[in-house]
Amino acid sequence: MARVRLTVNGTDYRVDVPDDIPLLWVLRDFLGLTGTKYGCGIGLCGACTVHVDDRAVRSCSVTAADVTGEITTIEGLHGNHPVQEAWLTENVPQCGYCQPGQVMTAAALLAGNPRPSDTEVDDAMSGVLCRCGTYQRIRKAIERAAGVT
Amino acid sequence: MTDMSRREFIKVSSLATGGLMVSVYLAGCITKETDPTTTTTSTTSTSTSTTTTSSSTTATTSEPEPTTTTTYPGDPNAQLRPNIYLLIDGTGAVTITAFRSELGQGIRTAIAMVIAEEMDAEWERVSVTQAPADSDYGDQNTGGSLSIKNHYQILRRAGAAAREVLIAAAARTWDVRVKDCRTEPGTVVHPDGESRLTYGELITAGVEEEAPRVNRAKPWKDPSRFRIVGQPTTLVDAADHLSGTTRYTNDLTLPGMRYAVIARCPTFGGRPLDYDRAAALAIPGVTDVLEIEKGVAVVADHTWAALQGREALNVSWSRGSLAGTTSAGIQQHLIDSTRSVGSSRIGAAYDIPYLAHAALEPMGAVADVRSDGCEVWAPTQDPQGARRTVQNLTGFARSAVTVHVPPVGGKFGRGHYDDAVTEAVHLSQALGAPVKLMWTREDDMAHDRYHPMSRYQATAPASGSSRPSVRSNSAGSPIPTGAWRSVGNHPTAFARESLIDEVAAANGIDPLKLRMQIMDRAARRVIELAAEQSGWGSPLPDGWGRGIAYFSTFGVTPVAQVAEVSVEGSAIRVHRVVCAVDCGVVINPDTVRAQMEGGIAFGLTAALKDGITIEDGAVVQSNFHDYRLLPFDEMPEVEVHIVPSSEPPTGVGEMGVPPIAPAVANAVFAATGIRLRSIPLRL
Repeated sequence: MARVRLTVNGTDYRVDVPDDIPLLWVLRDFLGLTGTKYGCGIGLCGACTVHVDDRAVRSCSVTAADVTGEITTIEGLHGNHPVQEAWLTENVPQCGYCQPGQVMTAAALLAGNPRPSDTEVDDAMSGVLCRCGTYQRIRKAIERAAGVT
Repeated sequence: MTDMSRREFIKVSSLATGGLMVSVYLAGCITKETDPTTTTTSTTSTSTSTTTTSSSTTATTSEPEPTTTTTYPGDPNAQLRPNIYLLIDGTGAVTITAFRSELGQGIRTAIAMVIAEEMDAEWERVSVTQAPADSDYGDQNTGGSLSIKNHYQILRRAGAAAREVLIAAAARTWDVRVKDCRTEPGTVVHPDGESRLTYGELITAGVEEEAPRVNRAKPWKDPSRFRIVGQPTTLVDAADHLSGTTRYTNDLTLPGMRYAVIARCPTFGGRPLDYDRAAALAIPGVTDVLEIEKGVAVVADHTWAALQGREALNVSWSRGSLAGTTSAGIQQHLIDSTRSVGSSRIGAAYDIPYLAHAALEPMGAVADVRSDGCEVWAPTQDPQGARRTVQNLTGFARSAVTVHVPPVGGKFGRGHYDDAVTEAVHLSQALGAPVKLMWTREDDMAHDRYHPMSRYQATAPASGSSRPSVRSNSAGSPIPTGAWRSVGNHPTAFARESLIDEVAAANGIDPLKLRMQIMDRAARRVIELAAEQSGWGSPLPDGWGRGIAYFSTFGVTPVAQVAEVSVEGSAIRVHRVVCAVDCGVVINPDTVRAQMEGGIAFGLTAALKDGITIEDGAVVQSNFHDYRLLPFDEMPEVEVHIVPSSEPPTGVGEMGVPPIAPAVANAVFAATGIRLRSIPLRL
């Protein structure tokens, strides 16, 4: 067990957790931040994406003890981030399960690259899976958030 | 109009006698428990908080909390519940109870839209709560794309019943005739056209009248005057999904809850022979190791400990009854047992592999079995079936078993099977504590109820003078199979619509023209629309092809799709899909579009990605690297065209899937001259 210090959505936490526990399970089971989803556990689907210092990180594939930097989860966007608002306008979600990961990935993309090209959008988003098939709306929502449309 | 003679009046003071009003209520109105532990979401775009489960561990559930603020005199807690489908409070806020599982198909929104339309509610004042398993709602088994098709009229009547009783209350208050009153959204209007009473004011003042029974209420609105139904409407759950506040089953927490995962035999039918219980229990946080029917469960203080404990078990398994079974062998059996085609007909066989549901939310359940009853939360498509399962497992009476249905993260048919519910209930019984059972992705992939591997044979007169007939051969799958979005419609469409193109090619006819010759009028309408919108016949770059396919899934919703495909080497890329759909009266056109887009993506994953294969009695695929889903950058541009209609609504949840694989195969043929008869399509 290790005492891990984490800053999540602006709040400092000290939690006693197993040495090797991925950030995902600390967020979900220890901090109650269940907006971050489990989808595959091995970094293939992107449902667990969070920000560490504005960088998109797969929380299933990083050990909590190894995280240095401020963590932002979907809860930390407060529902009124421009990406969330664009998603709502385009009525993106169907079942919604993958959408926190989609939103976090797009928000990190746009934070670092406010007007991404189609290829840059493809590169950023193609690792975040949606079984409901909301991709076309996600593309439109990213364009909307980027001010392209 | 309501039937006055049936009413039982309760003495209440009336508006005319001055200030303070007594609260409601209605004799004979059905009071219905709804589920405070599952999502209640408002139709406004701001995110609303959802009630968490931590405060609710009792088997009985209470009615939704009324809004406490009121600008009207009288009882601020006044509520009117004219029937089991809705509740209106003294502020005029409407809570509609959805009773079909929300899988992402937008049914909570659609149910609310239809009820709100007929009750003449203000859409901004509507929120939606979710019913638990309850046979009073009739069929809750959410499949077959039937929710709207089978419930449209009852939903209209439920809304109309609410409006009728409110008009009756207003007419009494004003001492005017019911039939001279009318409504505007949220308001009853006096025959003088001036005076108004809002629904909230009427309820606060006291509604003496009994609401008509739902099946006696009369939908009053001509569909041409609908102002909610037919409008593109944001899903009521969208804001919560986007803010991360939606609580799916695996997000729930109960006091004292244990976290469990199960080590499952990789082969079908195998049993644990040996495992290292001590090693699992040595993992910090692991508290119990239990052998159950399906394998060995590890129970812990949190998910990660349970997962680590499962690793540490190091189970050795018996090989099970299917040892040695391979999907190649099963396929060979299908080939050997398919009859040959008669000489007067043209025909071909088309192959479909096993396919997984692979919803992003894996299977799982939360169960709390106590001495006096049991509560279960599960991403189920069949709440009443799950409830019966729990009754059988626990011996409890139906009234002691509550099955809640949190929002479901996909499922696509998998949610009809309650294996996870069974496991969670077993574990909660054994531990005497609430249990959250999580299936990992690997569990979900290797222990699905797969779309059956099958060989479909299509035959037609060699001249192409009539539609092909299709015969399926999928009998006797040794591995578990089940309902997969659009079920047998998917392979049937692949066989029939591919063969039509083969017949067209053999006779030198344009495949669109052949379809217009042999298909019925309903089909021709969508075929023509899709072809026209796609620019059928217009030039495409070299190496590109256009393919069309048509299917009416379950025989109720004609859908035609035209796919534009490029072929480079062995790479098939779908660039654009034009889809035409005729689903009768459209409740939410945005949902119809979303379901077509989603159905196409779902069908493209099957058409272009991976089948499930079996080696030595076990599923080979384990996660998204070897059972790939269509990714973002391969999603084609999808255009959806909806045929205007005043016919009764049908369904759209599954209907986008079947045409896409044959449309793509036909486009590949157009581009290359190569006919692909196996899914996944491989050049």
